[in-house]
Amino acid sequence: MPLIDPSVVDLSRLQFALTALYHFIFVPLTLGMTFLLAAMETVYVITGKQIYKDMTQFWGKLFAINFAIGVATGLTMEFEFGTNWSMYSHFVGDVFGTPLAIEGLMAFFMESTFIGLMFFGWDRLSKPGHLAVTYLTALGSNLSALWILIANGFMQNPQGASFNPDTMRMEFNSFLNLVFSEDAQAKFVHTSIAGFVTGALFVMGISAFYILRKQHREFAARSFRMAALFGVISSLAVVTLGDALGRLDYLVQPTKIAAIEGLWQDSDAGGSAAAAPWLVFALPNQATQTNSVEIGIPYVLDPLIAHSFSTNIPGLISLEQQAGPRIEKGITALNALQAYGKDHDTAALATFKANESDMGYGFLAQRYAPNQDLSLITPANQDAVVAQAEKDTIPNVFVTFWSFRIMMALGFYFVALFAFAAFFSLRNRLERNPFLLKLCVWSIPLPVLACEFGWITAEAGRQPWSVYGWLPTFQAASSHGVGYMVFSLLGFALLYSVFIAAELYLMFKFARLGPQPHHAAAPEAAAAPMFAAPAE
Amino acid sequence: MGKLFTFIGLGLVLALALLLAVVAGDYGPWYFAWMVGTVMIVLIAGCGAVLFDSQHEKGNGEI
Amino acid sequence: MELYVVLKVIWAVLLGVLLSGLAVMVGMDMGVGTLLRFVGKTDVERRTALNIIGPHWDGNQVWFILGGGAIFAAFPTLYATSFSVFYVVMILLLFSMIMRPVAFEYRSKVDTKKWRGAWDWAFLISGAVPMIVYGAAFGNVMQGVGFHYGWDGQYYQDESFIFYLLNPFALLCGVMSLALSIQQGATMLMLRGEEPIYGRARKAAIGGGIVGAALFIIGGFWVAHISGYAFTSPVYPGAPATPLNGPAVAQVTGAWLHNYAVYPILWALPALGVAGMLGAAVMNSARLPALAWWLGAIGWISAIFTTGASMFPFLMPSTTNPSQSLTVWNASGSQYNLGWMLFFALVFTPIIICYTSWCFYVMRGKVKAEHVAHDEHSY
Repeated sequence: MPLIDPSVVDLSRLQFALTALYHFIFVPLTLGMTFLLAAMETVYVITGKQIYKDMTQFWGKLFAINFAIGVATGLTMEFEFGTNWSMYSHFVGDVFGTPLAIEGLMAFFMESTFIGLMFFGWDRLSKPGHLAVTYLTALGSNLSALWILIANGFMQNPQGASFNPDTMRMEFNSFLNLVFSEDAQAKFVHTSIAGFVTGALFVMGISAFYILRKQHREFAARSFRMAALFGVISSLAVVTLGDALGRLDYLVQPTKIAAIEGLWQDSDAGGSAAAAPWLVFALPNQATQTNSVEIGIPYVLDPLIAHSFSTNIPGLISLEQQAGPRIEKGITALNALQAYGKDHDTAALATFKANESDMGYGFLAQRYAPNQDLSLITPANQDAVVAQAEKDTIPNVFVTFWSFRIMMALGFYFVALFAFAAFFSLRNRLERNPFLLKLCVWSIPLPVLACEFGWITAEAGRQPWSVYGWLPTFQAASSHGVGYMVFSLLGFALLYSVFIAAELYLMFKFARLGPQPHHAAAPEAAAAPMFAAPAE
Repeated sequence: MGKLFTFIGLGLVLALALLLAVVAGDYGPWYFAWMVGTVMIVLIAGCGAVLFDSQHEKGNGEI
Repeated sequence: MELYVVLKVIWAVLLGVLLSGLAVMVGMDMGVGTLLRFVGKTDVERRTALNIIGPHWDGNQVWFILGGGAIFAAFPTLYATSFSVFYVVMILLLFSMIMRPVAFEYRSKVDTKKWRGAWDWAFLISGAVPMIVYGAAFGNVMQGVGFHYGWDGQYYQDESFIFYLLNPFALLCGVMSLALSIQQGATMLMLRGEEPIYGRARKAAIGGGIVGAALFIIGGFWVAHISGYAFTSPVYPGAPATPLNGPAVAQVTGAWLHNYAVYPILWALPALGVAGMLGAAVMNSARLPALAWWLGAIGWISAIFTTGASMFPFLMPSTTNPSQSLTVWNASGSQYNLGWMLFFALVFTPIIICYTSWCFYVMRGKVKAEHVAHDEHSY
């Protein structure tokens, strides 16, 4: 059984990574802005003040520009599993496809139907009716995130399914385990709230721009206030959930957490686990399995990861060594499975069952087996094969280490930024702090960046697996030719570049234009006496 | 009659919310946290706006 | 009959329902997209046409997404294989599909001829190409596709994309699908549009119905002469779902009419299809678009179920290794999975139907050109 051309696997990975990361430029804003719009409209419905309706409509307009590409690029994601990851789809489709289907039923229909009413229904619905529609849109978009992250949670920590040798695939066996997987839970909240942060900073940043230019003051100050408060709690929650995810990775994905921390040796290698440093800066070198340079803070790593002062955190080198026996058992498992597939031999099935949990590690050995055929592995050449395959059991440390650090630094930066913003907004001292306002404007794209690096940490850190411990990524791809991949990659690059150019153009155009709907001038003037209009 | 239906409707929503909260609280603490947290975030943001309005009725118009 | 078999059959029917929903609802919007440049001569007319489906296209498009998700979950091996063997057209489908949401949202946001003209072309491409691909996929699947599986379930492709791209029977199905989408889209434009859009749409709707019906009939006769597939050894519908150890399958000319020979009642499906398409054309010429819309929908649905009934239980036969052909029995998900999915479908489908209908109800009535021009929310 020949393996798929490695360059096709790489191109498939590149395409998936690019389309997914591109998709996720637009998703976080949708997740957060919908609830922020709902908050604004709630104030409108309760107080009846026109300015909150204008806010909802103006921010809604910017939101719609962003939403369109989110929907468009989401289509790609739904189909790309099938077009480029056929073995993956076959292998886990029975359990992975289900949340995607439920997502369509439960969330997409809701989000997409109500978003139409949200934009077109202002004159046709009662105030509470329209508010309900806005909330349902927000709920719908976050529910779709929920189901997609349940699916992703399965890739990270596969539970709720077991391998069936009769069908050669993982089969769904526990709905509760799938849906309430801790990974899915923490990741959903982390991702959704990261979207809240993105939405909040978007609104806050553009509002800061207006305040700096002394335009639309009443409008911008209120938007800023709401976004700052929305963001300050969200950014705290993101950090909390980030910690929860880190601890979870330590429990179920030891290779990922070791790569995130650039931990080649066990944390107690220096004598005490408690004193192990948390690396602020390091240049991990995969070839020598060391960090070329490292600067760390002692006594931070253990409490951070394991929430303890005495737990050893296994390093990458010992994790590789631990994988060795699993690879050997995996080779046995796969050879038995292939024999069982041919003639349903019960002895082969028993051998397979005894080694089943290491089956995925057998796949890892395949590329080093003679002729890439596991059945040709003999006691004589097995050690060499295992030694090579061991090195493949850990992710790219440099990428994982740095993408995590960038994400985390940005996360803490947001907490600080929102805290100051909320403080000065609550005290009505924003205009006296132009530096803070400028910082807000320039920080608009940063949450998206943080989200992207978060995904890179999560997914690059999951390597070499597509389904952790069960199916390596190189095994999961479709057996296309390079030509197919070049064709699709070029097309995506071209289309997506046009899209982002158009979206940025429109976004800047309408953000610069500001809230100037035809009816806004009158109510704002009417409201002015109430708010002791400032002399400009 | 209309009030009765409103009452029954709200009661049903409440019962559903309770059921959801109990199930989520039992099996999915983070899901529960998300539900409560999101409602809280939205409400606090809304309160901030209302507070702004009342500050500006009394204040000097500075923002 | 054992539970697993029942579930497999239910999901096969639901697959048909999903493909029908996709065809009727997404097809309608695609038809409007295809016709946009022809029913709207001026910019305001085009905007009016867009705003007729404006509040609904996004919701309708979910049929497409749900179709993908449901095939993934209910027939994982079919999803894995079909999307990969048809890679080139699937990617073309995606390229054209993803232009549409952007085109809706961006077209009217900038008021220059060049900008709007470019997006109008995007509507044409993103309306016509997906519908042709959709129909052609049916045509290709009916003839079988060249693929086989390795021992671990990985598929291997045995034919070049040229074959399925330039395949006369598939092209016929593609054009038929395009014609029917034009019929549905144009009927919708009549329902909520006024003159001059109404008159132009009416011509397109009548034409679409007649061409669709004609191609459907030609296709029916053609099918008698192409190779169908039939089992030549016993089949166990309740067996674990895998194409790896399948029963023997033979290619038999005209086999796709076997089911009709065994159950003559099935002939009602194609009859209903032709009646629906032609009936819609008649109603459109009688200026009764509401009736025509439903008749057209019946025509579409019957056409899809006609295909399903003739192939059942085959889903995607293999030309190069027929015994590994994908069928309802060997490509489906596990019993547990199909059960849970059915539960969710039973709970959510009524809810979806309720709020989708409510949404159409709220947005009912004619879309007026002067309203579109002055409403800042409109496309």
